Amino acid sequence: MFRWDQVWYYLFQDPNLYFLQAAWITLWISVVAQAIGIVLGFILALMRTSKYVFLVWPARAYLWFFRGSPLLVQVLLLWAGLPKIFPNALLPAWACILVAFSLNEGAYMSEIIRAALGSVDPGQMEAAKALGMRNNLAMRRIVIPQAMRVIIPPLGNEFNNMLKTTSIATVIGVEELTGTARDFGSQNFTIFELLIVATIYYLVLTTIWEFVQRWIENRFDPDRANVAIAAAQEKSTMKRLTGLGAQTAR
Amino acid sequence: MNTDVTTNDFEGSQNVEMVRTEQLVKRFGDNIVLNGIDFHVKRGQAVVVIGPSGSGKTTLLRCLNHLEKIDDGRIYIDGQLVGYREEKGRLVEDSEANIARLRSQIGFVFQRFNLFAHKTALENIIEAPIHVLRQPKDQVVERARVLLDKVGLADKEDAYPHRLSGGQQQRVAIARALAMNPKLMLFDEATSALDPELVGEVLKVMRQLAEEGMTMVAVTHEMGFARDVADHVVFMDKAQIVEQGPPEQIFGECENERTRNFLSRVL
Repeated sequence: MFRWDQVWYYLFQDPNLYFLQAAWITLWISVVAQAIGIVLGFILALMRTSKYVFLVWPARAYLWFFRGSPLLVQVLLLWAGLPKIFPNALLPAWACILVAFSLNEGAYMSEIIRAALGSVDPGQMEAAKALGMRNNLAMRRIVIPQAMRVIIPPLGNEFNNMLKTTSIATVIGVEELTGTARDFGSQNFTIFELLIVATIYYLVLTTIWEFVQRWIENRFDPDRANVAIAAAQEKSTMKRLTGLGAQTAR
Repeated sequence: MNTDVTTNDFEGSQNVEMVRTEQLVKRFGDNIVLNGIDFHVKRGQAVVVIGPSGSGKTTLLRCLNHLEKIDDGRIYIDGQLVGYREEKGRLVEDSEANIARLRSQIGFVFQRFNLFAHKTALENIIEAPIHVLRQPKDQVVERARVLLDKVGLADKEDAYPHRLSGGQQQRVAIARALAMNPKLMLFDEATSALDPELVGEVLKVMRQLAEEGMTMVAVTHEMGFARDVADHVVFMDKAQIVEQGPPEQIFGECENERTRNFLSRVL
């Protein structure tokens, strides 16, 4: 028998806010890991496109490992393997997750960033240099801001993925959404109900992110006039979806 | 830096000579693009370089501000060795900082405009004076508006490049180069990517600059411009300077057969 009351309880009536706390853990692990991943990705992308072999090869080896082995295995290696090599280096579970996710994400972000940097017209760099800009300044002021526009849509995918992949943290006992659902559910045989609660939370998080991503994309639009157009389109889409104010549209 | 030494070497000629190349050689692989070029531009002169495609004109121009490395010879701008410094008689590529400083004194206008796509017309112009020359922003903005007005685009300061026509983009690009207060302007086929009806507005700005006494080198296919505006015309073919002189000579009674052939095809 499906217990709707349990779904309802954990969504709206739980005085301890267990699932909200779990969602918070999911969220902050994702945000921090993604942020570190972006920074790592930039470093790796610049290393890979460098003219120095001693920078290119370490970056390639890094990508080879982190893209070539499962994330779950990387987590377990850190969790179970690290203490074997360094008996004193006992990372708490959440730290293992954070490190593994950041390192893994760095590998994927570096490919996205490398492609984005490559997509900027070389003439932009040349014009910057002709004006007397040094390489670093030209990268910072001219090339990277233009690459950002290309980076953001795939970055949106990455973060969306990240929010959901954090469920891997369950296997080493981090009490994020999936783990919470499993633990509470197995106590009183309502695992299916609680997984639905977790799913709703995941959907809320990814939906919020979708809006955030759209906002960021508009911010990097070179022509801010488009922001107004996009806002207008969004409004009319909402109206069409909800059927509200259809007459007043336009 | 020992660039000072080279400056002193030419102190006498510094007042008259803005550009001098000596036996300039540039190769792309086995292909020799510039084969011993001796090229001179006096201060205040407008020099136009003409010649068939593949003759090395653009490469010569790009060497002048070290957008291309050279394989042999010397380039001096205002008495300063370009892109290299001399160490025990051998040329060593100069530091990034020195090369950048030299480029900041030379305006370069590209065939494809290369306006910064994420910046408005005004932002394009103020970018380098603020971040390279470190001039105060309000002063730079004021000057940028004057320059936009000068190229006839005072009402376009907030427009992004993709909202501007090719001719407008190129005029912003010229204003952007002028904002650095360059002592030399280089135009690399500045009108070749434009629709025919937009060529005139860009040539007009270039002509005005020449009349104001700006030292400039223009690589172009616009023979009318070369004839009317240039103080000196250089004809290049097959990696060499074939003939040069005042426009009346080149377009009037040029002796060289290759020049005559070329001109009869383009005029």
